[in-house]
Amino acid sequence: MKNLSFYVSRTVLLLLFYLVLAPWHSSNVLAGTKIMRFQTMVSGTVTDMDGNPLPGVNIVVEATGTGTISDMDGGFRIAASDGDVLVFSMVGFKSQSVPLSGRDDIRIFMVEDVTALGEVVLNAGYYKVSEKARTGNIATVTSDVLEKQPVANPLAGMQGHMSGVNIVQNTGVPGGGFSVEVRGRNFLNGASDPLFIVDGVPFGSQSLGAARVSNQIVGGDISPLNAINPSDIESIEVLKDADATAIYGSRGANGVVLITTKKGRAGKTRFDAHLSTTLGEVSNYLELLDTPQYLELRREGIANDGFQDLFEGPIFDFFWPDLKTWDQDRYTDWQEELIGGTAYRNNAQLSVSGGNDLTQFLVSGAYQKETTVFPGDFKYERASVHSNLNHRSENGRFMLNLSTSYSQENNQLPSGDFTAQAYTLPPNAPALFDEEGNLNWENNTWDNPLAILEESYVVGSKTLISNAVLSYAIRPNLELKSSFGYTNYRLDTYRTMPSSARNPGFGLTPQNYSSLMTNGSQRESWIIEPQLNWRKEWDGVSMDVLLGTTFQQETSEQSVLRGRGFPNNELIRNMAAAETLEVLSNSDSEYRYNAVFGRVNLNVLNRYLLNLTGRRDGSSRFGPGRQFGNFGAVGLAWIFSEESIFGADSPLSFGKLRASYGTTGSDNIGDYRFLDTYSVTGNNYNGVTVVEPTGIFNPQFGWEENKKLEAALELGFFKDRVMVNASWYRNRSSNQLVGIPLAATTGFSSLTGNFDAIVENTGVEIDLNTVNIRSGKFGWTTTFNLTIPKNKLVAFDGLETSTFANRYVLGEPLTIVNLYQSLGVDPETGLYQFEDYNGDGNISSSEDREWIEDLAPDFYGGLGNTFKWGDLTLDVFFQFKKQKAYNALRYNASPGWQTNSLVQLYDRWQEPGDITDIQRASSGLDLSNNQGALQQESNAAVSDASFVRLRNISLNYKVPGLDNGLDINVYLQGQNLWTLTDYLGPDPEQPSNIRLPPLRQLTLGLQFSF
Amino acid sequence: MRRIEQLLYLIKKGGMVILEQVVFGHCLVLVALGLSLWGCSDFVEVDPPKNTLISETVFDDAATVESALANLYFEMREQGMVSGSFGLTTGMGIYADELDYFASNADYSQLYQHNVIAGNNLVFTWWSQAYHLIYSANDIIKGVEASENLTDDERKRFKGQALFVRGYIHSLLVGVYGDVPYITTTDYVENNDVNRMAVGEVYERVIADLNDAVVLFEESGMDATGRILPDAHVAKALLARMYLYTKQWEKAVTHSTELIGAFVLEQDLDRVFLKDSPETIWQLKADADFPKNTREAGQLIIQGIPGQTYALTDDLLGAFETDDLRRDHWVNSISDGDGTITLHYAYKYKADLNETVSLEYSILFRLAEQYLIRAEARARLGNITGAQADLNRIRNRAELPDTAFGTLDGLMEAIIQERRIELFTEQGHRWFDLKRTGRADKVLGALKSNWKPTDVLLPIPEAELETNPNLLPQNNGY
Repeated sequence: MKNLSFYVSRTVLLLLFYLVLAPWHSSNVLAGTKIMRFQTMVSGTVTDMDGNPLPGVNIVVEATGTGTISDMDGGFRIAASDGDVLVFSMVGFKSQSVPLSGRDDIRIFMVEDVTALGEVVLNAGYYKVSEKARTGNIATVTSDVLEKQPVANPLAGMQGHMSGVNIVQNTGVPGGGFSVEVRGRNFLNGASDPLFIVDGVPFGSQSLGAARVSNQIVGGDISPLNAINPSDIESIEVLKDADATAIYGSRGANGVVLITTKKGRAGKTRFDAHLSTTLGEVSNYLELLDTPQYLELRREGIANDGFQDLFEGPIFDFFWPDLKTWDQDRYTDWQEELIGGTAYRNNAQLSVSGGNDLTQFLVSGAYQKETTVFPGDFKYERASVHSNLNHRSENGRFMLNLSTSYSQENNQLPSGDFTAQAYTLPPNAPALFDEEGNLNWENNTWDNPLAILEESYVVGSKTLISNAVLSYAIRPNLELKSSFGYTNYRLDTYRTMPSSARNPGFGLTPQNYSSLMTNGSQRESWIIEPQLNWRKEWDGVSMDVLLGTTFQQETSEQSVLRGRGFPNNELIRNMAAAETLEVLSNSDSEYRYNAVFGRVNLNVLNRYLLNLTGRRDGSSRFGPGRQFGNFGAVGLAWIFSEESIFGADSPLSFGKLRASYGTTGSDNIGDYRFLDTYSVTGNNYNGVTVVEPTGIFNPQFGWEENKKLEAALELGFFKDRVMVNASWYRNRSSNQLVGIPLAATTGFSSLTGNFDAIVENTGVEIDLNTVNIRSGKFGWTTTFNLTIPKNKLVAFDGLETSTFANRYVLGEPLTIVNLYQSLGVDPETGLYQFEDYNGDGNISSSEDREWIEDLAPDFYGGLGNTFKWGDLTLDVFFQFKKQKAYNALRYNASPGWQTNSLVQLYDRWQEPGDITDIQRASSGLDLSNNQGALQQESNAAVSDASFVRLRNISLNYKVPGLDNGLDINVYLQGQNLWTLTDYLGPDPEQPSNIRLPPLRQLTLGLQFSF
Repeated sequence: MRRIEQLLYLIKKGGMVILEQVVFGHCLVLVALGLSLWGCSDFVEVDPPKNTLISETVFDDAATVESALANLYFEMREQGMVSGSFGLTTGMGIYADELDYFASNADYSQLYQHNVIAGNNLVFTWWSQAYHLIYSANDIIKGVEASENLTDDERKRFKGQALFVRGYIHSLLVGVYGDVPYITTTDYVENNDVNRMAVGEVYERVIADLNDAVVLFEESGMDATGRILPDAHVAKALLARMYLYTKQWEKAVTHSTELIGAFVLEQDLDRVFLKDSPETIWQLKADADFPKNTREAGQLIIQGIPGQTYALTDDLLGAFETDDLRRDHWVNSISDGDGTITLHYAYKYKADLNETVSLEYSILFRLAEQYLIRAEARARLGNITGAQADLNRIRNRAELPDTAFGTLDGLMEAIIQERRIELFTEQGHRWFDLKRTGRADKVLGALKSNWKPTDVLLPIPEAELETNPNLLPQNNGY
């Protein structure tokens, strides 16, 4: 171990030596054998069929591979010899091969390709593949789609657009997180995060937030992906099946999300500026009790419980101020007051790009500021810089690409989310401020919700992602390439809790109460991936071979401190002023990863495709001898439309059958779990620091395994104007890492180990793209995607004795919840009734929670339409989901309590014989007269939460007729504008009554470029 | 690393050669490159995080081994059967006839009322914390044996302590649960489905471990300053107790005699439980911060009525002979506001949790017990006068007259009675005495309405039987 760094550095050095020096040697060697040809400069222009110049067209000399890109006026210049053939290509147009035949000035008309299927090139991570020839399942969202959505986090822009990818926004608070699942939950231990790769660099998407600092406002969940400015993104690809993910080996089990940032284009230097303003507000308010209804329920509850006598006593002035001392006629709409504000987001972005055919660059800077819907002065700011430099040597052999993104975020939020209080504060609660404008404590009878404005919560983060790719073509068909990536993510969070934020009646002082909690965390990683690409073509057969290796290291640190007791609240930001300083957690970890990977792709007659991928990788998360695992996949495709029976005029213009099978793994289980460790507990005996054994040596600890099977049919009709893709998949995950219960005689209660449980995800995904109308100035295209997933726990030996006994059921999905079965309200007693499954006369034990509901979606998808009328473009995108979820009864099912509630609770049982769904009112003091807590845990608290949501609407107008290359676009975009749902609660997408739901947003923007 | 050397060799052979390979035989290079990394497992081995040590490194250094040992004593002091807030002192005190229980914890109520079920949490906590300690001791034994950086004396001293702890904890387990597994490895596969071992055999193993510990302590010259770590004397004190429990009277006499020669009785009853009492053989040093004194005092001293948890039983109070000084010095009382209720509590430890000066430590072995062990063993061996002399040492200290008994049976009764008074509310001595001398049925049957003869053993925890069916059958009566 001690020599490790030496060996590593030596290994790396050797590789660098090999990579850097070998190519130069080779050029020397090869120079002698190269045939020198006489070259001239060829120039020309490229236009569309209407004669409009086309910038950005790729022009390559077929024989040498050298190339250029047309400039803003469609012009180009390239060195070529007489007999050369130039290949012109551009997304959206059919490629053309044009023999020069001695010409030195040519004019090319590019023909638009209806769907340009064959030209769409997808990023598959280590290689690129055309949409037409792909053997795996890769979903993509391009900048066109992202740009139309006023979103701050790239994940938000993907929502609903990709089949098989289920994304849920966890909170409407800026800077909050998202949960992402690609093709369902695979593992019992709950880690479902896919692998995120930004420009080739793995990017840790797990939050480094500490629950003790951030829990109340963003659930401890601060998404590192917020650092990536969506408008810097060129495309996001999600790799789903074995064929696409197996090359990621032990990290590919939960899918892979590849984020590619924008690159510069050759041509004249171009300035591009964006300005936009977004207004956001809560999209749906709950219908709550008004003051008379609320007070009626309260009084009735107290009467029902027989507490009228107590009610008269002055001691209850303090307990029941809402009934006794507060204004009985006052009404405040707390939703309006606490979450009813408008959040503003201002966004400014400037980018400069350009270059020549050898070197292109892009630099962009953006600043964004977003406020909240809460009262108080809060804001989330992000400043980001993105740059990309691309260079190719004169002879086209050496290439360099450098991309760097840096962003700094500063998020100042209230320390808690006001949402729960907006739903629960009594409607006659007193005014927030007294006449002098100070916080009103109403004689210390309530906790003023705005008191937390005295507290502060600030998240500062700095993210650097950079990657360099160097490549050298040793021979025209052999390329040596290496990428070097580095990321650094720094998070600094603090939360102050001054005594001034608490009711002065408690008598708290800065000395005995005020506290400061800080979380300083950092994650740093580097990766080096040398690769060799080899391509060989024979008659009708082409073969691509890729071989590479990965060295990756990631270290992370987290230090959470708490200072308590300050001389006064002004000093609360200064940890040094605290009377006591506690280290709540101080942890660090290191992860290392090493792999060899490869791909062999065989294409026969553009008709039969075979793709073999594999990876052998090792991870420091496992014990000696178990670190390395092998993963691989085979993908097959048959483009049957190329067979001769389909003539040129067949309505079927494209047909492909493809299938793949392979294995991937997951090492997403935390570091060091295999070690027999001793931890410092902070205790001591006789002055000797105590170290306690905290883990059993478990060398058996290995990969979680995931076997993916997929079959798909892709069809194109009417010259690909109608494209349908249908895929079926079955993923089985085994070797699950879970806590296995141990007999106490081992010294421990459980051991994390591989357990022979199998989780199966099956599903069908359908993607449809059509060009409905394409005539002259008018165009109409439609996209549609649908996913029907199914999750099942297939096998789990010893489930009953495991720690999961009360959570999972064999044959059911992992997403189930076990509930009491509500039998409604007993017409005689007015109390909720439940099925007593174990017949013991009590409703309390886990044995009575036999009712099972699945909270995973039955199906989900999206429908988008784009209408184009001249310079006007309208996009309308709907997202839909069929699912069940916890409803508002989950949070309160007891009328009469001292919290406001849904107006539905007003229709409660009042006298024997009443038939109703809501139990009688109760005071909340006598729990025997109240079954509401059980109702909250019953099937009545789960109901349909299906929805159709107008997720995005975008209207773009390109101001016509401006000379000298000035382009002006004006756009209006809306997000979350309208929702159709029967859901009983704030928002069906994120069914919670305690977190701010995703906002409805409207954006007005201006873009101009010249 | 050999593969790296191979790669280096390849490169040394010259770029030209490699390039020939690249140009004319790409695959070969690819394979070479691939192979070089095929098993480069060094790269994926990482150092542990800074707040964690891997076992190996713990045993590389004497200081960290001492830290691992310190954890044993810390855990004994704070949790489990030995001491702490949930130890045998109160648990078996209410199970036997020493303490009345006034609080409402279901697990303690079951013990007090003798309707313990196999799912009782305290029964499980004692069991699991005992085996966690035993795991820790075994890991130290294993680690110390394998370590190359310790001196011979260090190795013996550390191993001796771990062996002692292993023996001591098993001795408590066998007393409470009857047949129990005797765990000597850290292998979880083996320990996960162990079988129970007969009581006699467990005692044999305990005695063997203690004898080994004595040898190691004596060879290494282990000397526990302040009597806060186990040493040869402590191991011998426990050996004397074990020989008494297993009726090996001569050996019991030998060991207790040695201790009686090495320690002296504190004559002032108010000073017996102070941290520098000369009769203490082993005590667990209190915390430097909190509590600075014993958890026992925190539990037993009644601060106010209502609010009491434990009080001495009338039966125990009635068992004190008239004029016994221990009744005045080791028992105190408190009354409620209007004086209608008076409760008595153990006042051996006098410094409660609020005391800010460290006066007392939790004493686990003291000389008085050794006198009583020798008295009993001598009586059994027919040495009546010797037995009387030892018994009288204890009686006279409490200013009681010499014993009147001169027969074996009479003396045995007198010794058990003396143990009851001298050792009350100390680590469940009373319970173990009732059990080992077969008096439990008669004594407790008369006091506790739910008493059943099968109550002499607590149940094996239910959860444990579920995860390891090899521990079946359950103890009788559960």
